[in-house]
Amino acid sequence: MLDSKLVRLGAVAALAVGASFGAQSEAFSAEKTVQIAGFGAKSGVVRSFGINTEAVLSGAIEAVNAAGGVKLADGSMAMMELSFYDDRCNAEEGISVLRRIAGSDAVVAIGPTCSNVAEPLFGILQKTVGDEGDSGLQIPVFTDTAIKGGLAKISQWAFRNVPNESEMYRALFQWIATEHPDLKTVYGGVEEDFAHSRFTWHKVMKERSPEAGYEVLGESKWLLNDTNFTTQVRQMKKAKADIVAISAHPFTTCGVLKEMKRQRVKPSLLVGLTSSSSMETLQGCAEQAEGIIIPTSFAPVTEAAKAAADAAAKHEGSADLHSAAAWEIVMILKEVMEAQGIAADGDSVDADRRKIRDGLANLKETDGLLGKIQRTDEGEAVKPYLYVHAQAGEWAILHDPSQ
Amino acid sequence: MDFFFGLLQIIGVHTLLGLSAYVVLQTGQVTLAQAGFFSIGAYVSAMLTVLAGWHIIPALLVSATLAGIVAGIVGFPALRIKGLMLVVATIAFGEFIRLFWFNFDYQIEKKGIVVGPQGGEGFKQIRFFPENGWSTLDVAIFIWVIVALVMLALWWTDRSRAGTVLRAVGEDELAAQSVGINLTAVKVGAFAAGGFIAGIGGAIYAHYTTHIEHLNFGVMLATFAIAYPILGGLRNVFGTLVAVIFIQGFLVEGLRFMGDWRNLLFGALIVLAMNIQPRGLIDERSVKLVRGLFTRDTRN
Repeated sequence: MLDSKLVRLGAVAALAVGASFGAQSEAFSAEKTVQIAGFGAKSGVVRSFGINTEAVLSGAIEAVNAAGGVKLADGSMAMMELSFYDDRCNAEEGISVLRRIAGSDAVVAIGPTCSNVAEPLFGILQKTVGDEGDSGLQIPVFTDTAIKGGLAKISQWAFRNVPNESEMYRALFQWIATEHPDLKTVYGGVEEDFAHSRFTWHKVMKERSPEAGYEVLGESKWLLNDTNFTTQVRQMKKAKADIVAISAHPFTTCGVLKEMKRQRVKPSLLVGLTSSSSMETLQGCAEQAEGIIIPTSFAPVTEAAKAAADAAAKHEGSADLHSAAAWEIVMILKEVMEAQGIAADGDSVDADRRKIRDGLANLKETDGLLGKIQRTDEGEAVKPYLYVHAQAGEWAILHDPSQ
Repeated sequence: MDFFFGLLQIIGVHTLLGLSAYVVLQTGQVTLAQAGFFSIGAYVSAMLTVLAGWHIIPALLVSATLAGIVAGIVGFPALRIKGLMLVVATIAFGEFIRLFWFNFDYQIEKKGIVVGPQGGEGFKQIRFFPENGWSTLDVAIFIWVIVALVMLALWWTDRSRAGTVLRAVGEDELAAQSVGINLTAVKVGAFAAGGFIAGIGGAIYAHYTTHIEHLNFGVMLATFAIAYPILGGLRNVFGTLVAVIFIQGFLVEGLRFMGDWRNLLFGALIVLAMNIQPRGLIDERSVKLVRGLFTRDTRN
């Protein structure tokens, strides 16, 4: 009796495992479609980033398909089809997801959310194209969100459409110096255990602000999962800096801003991390964030940007600095696929991947939601940007450096 | 197939991590320091292959030996405490090691690129496998040969006098001591063996992920390390393997298509599994059942 019960239980478990692995591959069995795989964090502390990316990707692909789809090498049209995977912002899971994508018919992978996932992911890709001695994966990965500086150079199969923070903050501090000549000192607040925020404070803000004539008085550090910022804000208060630059994601940025209000810390100016120019910050602490200045590569100020924002909202997400890049990526990929003449049949996956990679590598300039995007030889983007500030619960444009 | 070979790699490395805790748990000690030893294996082996240009095998042996020595040293103070105090002490040790890597900065220029551990930024470009043309299958085979050797060694230990001694200490220290068992040697030896196995796992982990950073070796990893043998059952080494397949193969990978529901189910299914099999997935009853399938009933 027990034996038969266990056998039945085992059979059910085996079917469940089989079904779960098979569920994804079934989606790839449709004919004459261009398979696009997206991946990112859809769970955990940064889940909103993955949810927004998926929403924007879905909206962009819907827009491409509504316009007829992608023109293939034989002149026929194919629809784009999206599969999206959750990597939980975990390096091991990200690698596993990319291997799964590489084993599917997807011709390109779009993601990931986190820089700590992007770094190992790019490491398992073939470093130099055509290097027979390198057994790394050969699939183009186009990143929309992971923003830590200089990652695309890890592999020639890696490309990014993320803003160049070094340039953005250099220009921002120069602009602040011009607009507010009375401000002389900067104090930093950094979410120390997150690759992006840590990099942006230590390698970007802390180095760029002295170039604009500011004296850096010090820094307070906290962790992504921290909920108490009393000591850090006390240090901040003691420094009495004119400008407080917070390099942290929305969750702890709000925690610090609330604590600053509680301790009555009122610097003349607040500067935030690019990733905090999102709705999460305003939903979490609009009142305390009032006036914070952030450079961003996205704001719904053009017709294309408004369309992207509307499409994201339709898919229950929001277009922001990071997710809007996914819209641009889909449009860039459509152009590249058509220019390179991919076949999109079951036998041409490897060749199509190579064509897309070569096409992306040869790009010098692409269209973006805010204007032209320059492409570097290392697979990075130099995107147009704006300065926004929080005003009455919304992100309002403060200055457009291109004007 | 590449994905399944990749999954085999993950299961192999986590099995080593689980087995490292299994050895220590045999002696009745609950440790959350395994992630620390795992990180020593990861960082040291990566430095040897990337900075010194060593082959993976000697790098793996040296880093695992170092992890084993550190574990042995940790084992001495651990002799004085047990139970919850030991859990707290080993968590503290694990965090100490993690924070050491968080602050450890040592980089040199190799072929025009600056490489090496860079504090909070981590240690990237640990590309021994792809740079030497190892396919995903090659790496999976390499890992599983090591896993098989470790499992064989532990399986043999379980059946030898050494295994009996470990279990005797785990069951009742006083009784074990009264029959002449050297508690210090057994407990420190178990810690060192566990550290060595964790070091092997960490060394492989660093090379298949190609990038490591302190956050990879936190309390969550340490919790998984002891969860595997406890969930799988301490009766034999196969319990740990079954638990790793259940968690990494089924809960993490198999349920990925369920999106947000996966996290919810993750915890619920573990609780369910522990309720159905309170003595572990591979307990006396299931061993007897499996044995019964392969042996003829000679009664009557």
